[in-house]
Amino acid sequence: MGERILDVQNLYTSFYTHLGEVQAIRGVSFHLDKGEALGIVGESGSGKSVTSMSVMKLLQHPGKIKSGKIMFKGEDIVPKSSKEMMSIRGDQIAMIFQDPMTSLNPVYTVGNQIMEAMIKHQGLSKSEARKKAVEMLKLVGIPSPEDRVDNYPHEFSGGMRQRAMIAIALSCQPDLLIADEPTTALDVTIQAQILELLKELKDKVNTAIILITHDLGVVADVCSRIVVMYGGLIMEQGSAEDIFYEPKHPYTMGLIKSIPRLDLNERQRLVPIPGTPPDLLNPPVGCPFASRCPYAMQICANEAPKYYDINPGHHAACWLLDPEAPKVEVDTGVKRGGADA
Amino acid sequence: MRNENKEVLLEVKNLKKYFKINKGFIRKDVRYVQAVDDVSFKIYKGETLGLVGESGCGKSTTGRTLIRLYEPTGGEIIFDGAEIGGMSEQELKPFRKRIQMIFQDPYASLNTRMTVGDIIGEPLDIHNLASGEARQKRIYELLERVGLSKMHASRYPHEFSGGQRQRIGIARALAVNPDFIICDEPISALDVSIQAQVVNMLEDLQNDFGLTYLFIAHDLSMVKHISDRIGVMYLGKLVELSDSKNLYEKPLHPYTQALLSAIPIPDPEVTRQKQRIILEGDVPSPINPPSGCRFRTRCIYAMDVCAEIEPEFKEVEPDHFVACHLMDQKK
Repeated sequence: MGERILDVQNLYTSFYTHLGEVQAIRGVSFHLDKGEALGIVGESGSGKSVTSMSVMKLLQHPGKIKSGKIMFKGEDIVPKSSKEMMSIRGDQIAMIFQDPMTSLNPVYTVGNQIMEAMIKHQGLSKSEARKKAVEMLKLVGIPSPEDRVDNYPHEFSGGMRQRAMIAIALSCQPDLLIADEPTTALDVTIQAQILELLKELKDKVNTAIILITHDLGVVADVCSRIVVMYGGLIMEQGSAEDIFYEPKHPYTMGLIKSIPRLDLNERQRLVPIPGTPPDLLNPPVGCPFASRCPYAMQICANEAPKYYDINPGHHAACWLLDPEAPKVEVDTGVKRGGADA
Repeated sequence: MRNENKEVLLEVKNLKKYFKINKGFIRKDVRYVQAVDDVSFKIYKGETLGLVGESGCGKSTTGRTLIRLYEPTGGEIIFDGAEIGGMSEQELKPFRKRIQMIFQDPYASLNTRMTVGDIIGEPLDIHNLASGEARQKRIYELLERVGLSKMHASRYPHEFSGGQRQRIGIARALAVNPDFIICDEPISALDVSIQAQVVNMLEDLQNDFGLTYLFIAHDLSMVKHISDRIGVMYLGKLVELSDSKNLYEKPLHPYTQALLSAIPIPDPEVTRQKQRIILEGDVPSPINPPSGCRFRTRCIYAMDVCAEIEPEFKEVEPDHFVACHLMDQKK
């Protein structure tokens, strides 16, 4: 593995609302190496977007990082001032948002918005930056970039806007790119274009990518490692193969079983996860998934499980993995070597 | 059983829906968005017909025109033998009871100022189906049918989660004992683990009440799961229609092939080995669609004839309809 880019250690983030403290993230640790793509999956409210906003230090009031460390290239960025962060953001860490319609500035040309970061961080002159902007647009696959560079965002289609966003994010060759649901607002054929582009960039430019999504198909396609979040905690973490073929947490298994497969022919009955996610204003004391878990035991409601290592890099927080717990065998229907069958 | 032997519940013939847009000073330049252009299909009793396509392809407009939320610009909508496309609102009322709709957004489609009981009771009031105690009983019965409970009747929509609200919308649709339900992206606003709950419920209701569904969605995996037959739309046109197994195994239209290949499969080995057809560019504007075949600007097999003549939507194999010039060449 390459150089360690990001190491998040025991991160806690809360929102201090008038109703009380919403504990959006309750002790999250993960890391990312150069040129690697990490997927963070989870449902709405699982804390996946708050994790990325914490890493960017873009939390809006009343959100605050309570404790923990975010080591970016060996340096903790949690104590950094907003001015110091401004020199990192856009230069070394960049982000792509879900909605390309609202995250571009409508009154500046696309070219101007790509040039902005390069002029600020790399001290390029306007004409140099413009030349680079055309190159960036070409890199992300915008046709006739020389003309398109002077267009305003409303003259771009949804897919092209997302490409422009990626061009902005990559303009300063960041070490880390955070993509928060980058394809959720796009159609499938456009999604395929964008995912192909992200994979290409990872291999060509060697950027480390965090891909946040609720779509298991997207992470299976792009990411080599996956973090599964639920109720502000990491439920399971491991390589893509570990998560899909050897899931150890009942939540991961539940997610895999609840989605229909396009490539399977028998009409399967979907297996839904009953109930709804927990309220993080009063998070459960034990495992957050206990109330929806088909294998829940007495201890699950009372005590939060620790992480059990299954193999190096693959661990899950579930009491079922304790040597004293009953053995549970679950067939999720997804098997290694399924491609040949 | 061959489709021609089945009983047709709804037949759509050459349905058109154009939206007028005005441009320029004193609105001289009138143009039209051809949202649905010359679409024909049949829906058989008790089946689920899926309608898929990308945003702007006209799938939702088709659904809304069928239930006469939009006035059709042209064509016929024949429901159980009666032409409902041109009926007056009064003539239509008995049919309104038989055709219901479930909407995409469970937040916008429920009146925030009404209690859940009144939301579900409203169709009963409009069609004079029940009042007083019978109405109350029916509301409780419906709530329980969709997995909620009696005590929810006096609450307001904001007290419910997205999945629960979608259940309320389904209970409202069921209140009048319909034959046919148009489900317009009923699960796309819901979380993955909740989607399966709602889809399973829709399947159970279909079995129990013999319902017929038109299931409109952009999530092809889910559409394949729930549908017996699937229609694929592109830029206001139906380009392919077939039973769902056949469509996924042997897509004939180049657009269907690209659409299916674009979907990532939640299995790392399978999805990474998958051959992708990446379409170039974006969907053209429906105001000024390409001549001939509307897909030709993005089609890798486009020929000269595609720009000149619009391909006919015809049956190339039993129960498999395609609109593509390539089909003529193969013969």
